[in-house]
Amino acid sequence: MSSSPLRLLLDFDAQYRRDRDQTPAFLHRRDRRLALVREQAGATPPSLAEWLHAVGDGRHPTAPLRRWRRLNGGLVLAGGVLGVLTMLGLLYVTGPARINVTLFLALVLVQLLLAVLTAGQSLAGWRPWGALLDRSDPDQPAPALRPLQPQLAGRAAQAGGLAFAVTALLTLLAQILVRDLAFGWSTTLQTSAPAYHGLVDALAWPWRGWLPAAVPDLNLVAQSRYFRLQNGQPADPALLGGWWPFLVMTWLCYVVLPRLALLMLAQAHLRHRARRLLRDHPGVAALCERFTTPWVDSGDEAPAAVPLTTPAPSPAPQPPSETGTLIRWAGADDQGRLRPRLGEARVLDAGGAASLEQDRDTLNRANGGRPVVILVRAWEPPTGDLADFLDDARAHWGAATPILLQPLATDDRGLAPWQRFVARRQDAALQLCSPLPADQEAAAP
Amino acid sequence: MTAPPRFAVVGHPNKGKSSIVATLAQNDGIAIALEPGTTRDSHHYPLSVDGHVLYELIDTPGFQRPRKVLAWLQAHSASASDRADTVRAFVTQHRDDPRFHDECELLTPILDGAGILYVVDGAVPYSPEQEAEMEILRWTGRPSLALINRIGQGDHLADWRAALGQYFQIVRDFDAVRAPFDTHLSLLRGFGQLAPDWEAPLEEAVNHLRDQRRHRQHRALGLIAEALADMLTHAESARFNEHDNRDALEHDLARRWRDRQRRREQTLRRDVEALYRHRHLHRREQQLDWDGGHDLFSEQARRAWGVSRTYLATAGFGAGALGGAGIDALAAGHSLGTGALIGGVLGAAGSLYYGGKYADKLGALKLLAPLAGGGRRAEFGPVRDPQFGYVVLGRALEHWFQVSHRNHAGRDPLTLDHGDRHWLEQLPRGDRQRLQKALQNPPRHQSDGKRRQALEQAVENAGGAFLEWRKTPSASG
Repeated sequence: MSSSPLRLLLDFDAQYRRDRDQTPAFLHRRDRRLALVREQAGATPPSLAEWLHAVGDGRHPTAPLRRWRRLNGGLVLAGGVLGVLTMLGLLYVTGPARINVTLFLALVLVQLLLAVLTAGQSLAGWRPWGALLDRSDPDQPAPALRPLQPQLAGRAAQAGGLAFAVTALLTLLAQILVRDLAFGWSTTLQTSAPAYHGLVDALAWPWRGWLPAAVPDLNLVAQSRYFRLQNGQPADPALLGGWWPFLVMTWLCYVVLPRLALLMLAQAHLRHRARRLLRDHPGVAALCERFTTPWVDSGDEAPAAVPLTTPAPSPAPQPPSETGTLIRWAGADDQGRLRPRLGEARVLDAGGAASLEQDRDTLNRANGGRPVVILVRAWEPPTGDLADFLDDARAHWGAATPILLQPLATDDRGLAPWQRFVARRQDAALQLCSPLPADQEAAAP
Repeated sequence: MTAPPRFAVVGHPNKGKSSIVATLAQNDGIAIALEPGTTRDSHHYPLSVDGHVLYELIDTPGFQRPRKVLAWLQAHSASASDRADTVRAFVTQHRDDPRFHDECELLTPILDGAGILYVVDGAVPYSPEQEAEMEILRWTGRPSLALINRIGQGDHLADWRAALGQYFQIVRDFDAVRAPFDTHLSLLRGFGQLAPDWEAPLEEAVNHLRDQRRHRQHRALGLIAEALADMLTHAESARFNEHDNRDALEHDLARRWRDRQRRREQTLRRDVEALYRHRHLHRREQQLDWDGGHDLFSEQARRAWGVSRTYLATAGFGAGALGGAGIDALAAGHSLGTGALIGGVLGAAGSLYYGGKYADKLGALKLLAPLAGGGRRAEFGPVRDPQFGYVVLGRALEHWFQVSHRNHAGRDPLTLDHGDRHWLEQLPRGDRQRLQKALQNPPRHQSDGKRRQALEQAVENAGGAFLEWRKTPSASG
């Protein structure tokens, strides 16, 4: 389970983006269930880390941070090498006779200023080297990391600076150990030894109380002053090495420790920003809503659609003029429009409100020796009642009697079930006529 | 623990049983999947809250041989007291008889304790043909409610009410396709009146469904705000080399930018439809023809959903003044409102300048920093015309309104249209200024919490105003 806010932010954002392809119903069901399991155990809804652990597949996006890890490593390495070279340069270039303490202090001041400036740009969200970094990385950073670029850059810079400070200090100590270093101070400014002593004494304030050996006294300051055009040797060469504890402590207190503190501050700021970004992430509010909102499911089961094949329409006959009987099924009424075409056909009723006895009577009275037309409403699907009636009709009139289903229709939409009904019956003498426009009043819909 | 109430939706084939279930179960798959009269098996649609079932709807096949069933019942019953047992005996006797499969299927849940929801079509005249069905249902002795659905244009409700009143405890009208959401809830409460034990779970279900609707509205408006922010800040980029044709690149990027905006709008619509569980919605909108008609970038779209230059100037002044007032606050009032005034004038001027002829000032090519490997980064977007935000928002709100007010039994394609008057008239002045400010300052990235919340709030207010506007008669177009 991830505990770093930055890692949590990246994991959450990645899961949020994956979830965007899911349906809202699925997300709600999944997250509400998790919250309910916790609720039943007497716990609060899961934290983001617990939620990610529950729904995630264990994948952690590493690519977004890889670039920053590389940059961090590069800067630490470069800072370390530069620290060694800078300190060696300082000790050799200004020597070999005497190493100027003033120059050393100036380097300390520069380092301190750089550290503070780096912290400032990181806190202010400014990226002075942003364009350069973007050029080196044509791929856009991960969306979740975009607002953290200044803080990530600030942290990398502070890490590089700390590496510089530490290796420089180690180099100084190594040189003190293996070489006979002589320090002195020199400046063009008109200043006196007591004034210079006042400066170093003030700088030594942090350790003055507990490490007096690292505080140069006035005698050392006065004895170690030199001028470039002065060729004389110092009165006591052994005395000039006495600067080193002060210089080591100065570097430690004003370069190494500030860098370390600012690196920790950068790290804390990065974590704080990541936490705030996570808190303001649009997915978090939605997730909390899903945790607390009951999951209302109104049934997701949809009946499987059975692919129904409608037979190719065969030429639809018209009711023949030699029709013997017209049966109005279940109240279907053509308002007498069909009768003139049917000659002397007998008109009977069946189905619907008629009783089963009336149906049997209709079968008996119908002229089974001649074609029978059954008038039906096309917008009512054929029912089992009609199928039974047709079975009985066949039994009564024999297989050869032509039976024609004459649909009354307002449009073609209801005809397919009738075509399938006729096809299903596999009765060569049963046919579906072309529809007769229904009387609007009778058809109503 | 008592079993949740169950309701068997029964009736003659093709009278809208599945439509009723589709609307009440909010499942448009039911209405789409089945051809009228082809339901052969019962389908159960429980309404559950956090896995706890509050009630269940059962979609059943229609009666196929009611007269034969009734004849059998009458032949095997000795007195009125054994009628329910006789119906049970019929089902037991004919369970394996394919001729009575549908009747057994629809009677079984009723005999197992379900209430009866008998559906008729009030658009066709009453005829006594269905009396056999009603008589069979009465024999079961179960609580019953008749629903007069209206499939067509005819109106024979009075006749049906009179007839159904003789067979059923409660008779209600319910248009499965057009009934508003409050009517759904009212109908569910009606189900609860059928038996004393059913009232509480149905009331609880109604409350949850109402909360669910509120939650969906909030989510839908959040989706609109998210899409709006995305569309307002989107930019297309490419590498521009020294010898490239700048006009051709601008044309290409502009085309890509517009296509992407259209796709984003479609994605938003799909998301909103999925939220309301309309999975089979066919959209009919003239904008589908992107070369003209109601394209997102057409002049028609601007006329329908854009705002006037006067509106832009006024709202721009207000939005600018809101920002300028921050300077006055910093100056502890010593600036005497100069900040608000300057902000207002700048806001109005900016809105007027960019709010010209729609689509002309949507964006322009910008050449940015040099790229590694040569060339410079060229970008088209984000949009500059403040009209664009209003057009996107208006179209999104219209689509959301149509989807959220559409019943799941509806099969007609969704038609998106607009009225004569502008919906912004319903938005209070302060909200208009906040909306303008939010559209001018959309969140640049997802973690831009402050701007995102401002936009979400502005869209939430806009959604409320849009609903009010839609209630006015002139809004129906």
